[in-house]
Amino acid sequence: MVSISKYPGLADVVKTSQCFRIVLFLAFSDVKARYKRSVLGPFWLTLGTAGGSAGLGLLWSELLRMDAKTFVPSLTAGLILWQFIAGVVSEASVLFSRQASIIRNLNLPLSIHPAQLLLRHLINLLHNIPVFFLVALVLGHPLTIESWLAIPGLVLVTLNLLWLALLIGLLGARFRDLEYLIAMVMPLLMFISPVFYRPNYLPFSEQIMWFNPFSHFIEIIRYPLFGLAPPNFIVLTLISMLVVGWAFYIGVV
Amino acid sequence: MAELCFEHVTVQYPIYNSRSMSLRNQLVRISTGGRIENEAGHIQWVTALSDVNFTLRDGDSVGLIGHNGAGKSTLLRTMAGIYQPNIGLIHRTGKVATVLEMGAGMDVELSGYENIIRMGVLMGVSLSDIKSRIPDIEAFTQLGDFLQLPVRTYSSGMATRLMFAVATSVQPDILLVDEVFGTGDAEFQIKAKERMEALIKSVGIFVFASHNHDLIKQYCNRFFKLEHGQLQEIVTL
Repeated sequence: MVSISKYPGLADVVKTSQCFRIVLFLAFSDVKARYKRSVLGPFWLTLGTAGGSAGLGLLWSELLRMDAKTFVPSLTAGLILWQFIAGVVSEASVLFSRQASIIRNLNLPLSIHPAQLLLRHLINLLHNIPVFFLVALVLGHPLTIESWLAIPGLVLVTLNLLWLALLIGLLGARFRDLEYLIAMVMPLLMFISPVFYRPNYLPFSEQIMWFNPFSHFIEIIRYPLFGLAPPNFIVLTLISMLVVGWAFYIGVV
Repeated sequence: MAELCFEHVTVQYPIYNSRSMSLRNQLVRISTGGRIENEAGHIQWVTALSDVNFTLRDGDSVGLIGHNGAGKSTLLRTMAGIYQPNIGLIHRTGKVATVLEMGAGMDVELSGYENIIRMGVLMGVSLSDIKSRIPDIEAFTQLGDFLQLPVRTYSSGMATRLMFAVATSVQPDILLVDEVFGTGDAEFQIKAKERMEALIKSVGIFVFASHNHDLIKQYCNRFFKLEHGQLQEIVTL
């Protein structure tokens, strides 16, 4: 019996988790199709990130008179994480209109598309992570036991990005201006997030930076990579975002 | 055992024009408090199906006729569960397969073989099942070594062969088809017709939307006529 259930948004997500293998297959198939005709394939991402962090890192550590040994690993981690977050958020706005032919012709839950987007970017992230470890190794940056905390941090970030991608996707399908609005806002958000620096480098604007949710997304993963457990307020922010975000999605959609 | 039952089903969808799609107009609407509300907030609703009732059981082959825009494709999509009704209930038992707009999810950068698997997975078929169907698809499409090449190198006829072969490689209980005969070259048309006929015989419920009354008479034993979203069963064509 097909009836309109009380929480269609939730029912849709549950259906997606049931056909998770389809999502996984599609994400890999998309990555494969994208790099079909290139020799290095997704490893171009790895090289791009490596080049970017080497160039920016060496230049800025000199400009900002910082010790390259701590600055370059921090910048590398920041850039990699920002690519992941910004990639998901910017693509989310055109997600559903791009998949229109699948949506109109196949009986599949709608949330497979955000899930697939997220997985695709996680696959890209996996290609970028070795750059960080290489930088850490070369510059003798120590990784400690606390570094494992980055993994639950990444899980929290991913689950938060999923509801965000769902909502942005839905709004983007309705309001076509959103794509351009997000393209405009994301660079601004990058500057008020700790991509290029650690929060404590800022003498007075640190408070402003914490208003940007993406600052928390980055720091919950980057603190552990520098051998420290993330401060409680960051963990709390992410958990409350997770609860409020999903509650809002389930309640509204 | 297949069954498909519609009870007072109404399907409507909103058409957002570029003005109501724009965030600016929505914001202006809030700030101006209804003064230009008529213009900015105007969303047109299209009633594609209105109060549709029927019951289909094993052995029913339905021919669906109606003018362009009468709601035939919407009805097929609603039967498949792709569109949800705004009002009413749908009762569906049995596995559904559709031959609507073919090639949903096809990626032209991937090879023929990779696309067979990709489209199959999207249709909800398991990986091992799809792989076991590859010989059958190879034989039907006669694309040979082309299946190893990216689909972007195919002519449109070749792509149609591939899409048709994948779409008809399933074993459903309910088969929903939107006008597909008459694509490809003469040889392919004959083969496609044979394949379609074999598939029609094997399913419990068959629904076929077409403008070709001869074809409908040939395959169907019940006839539905759609007019402005309203469905009427007619005895003879």
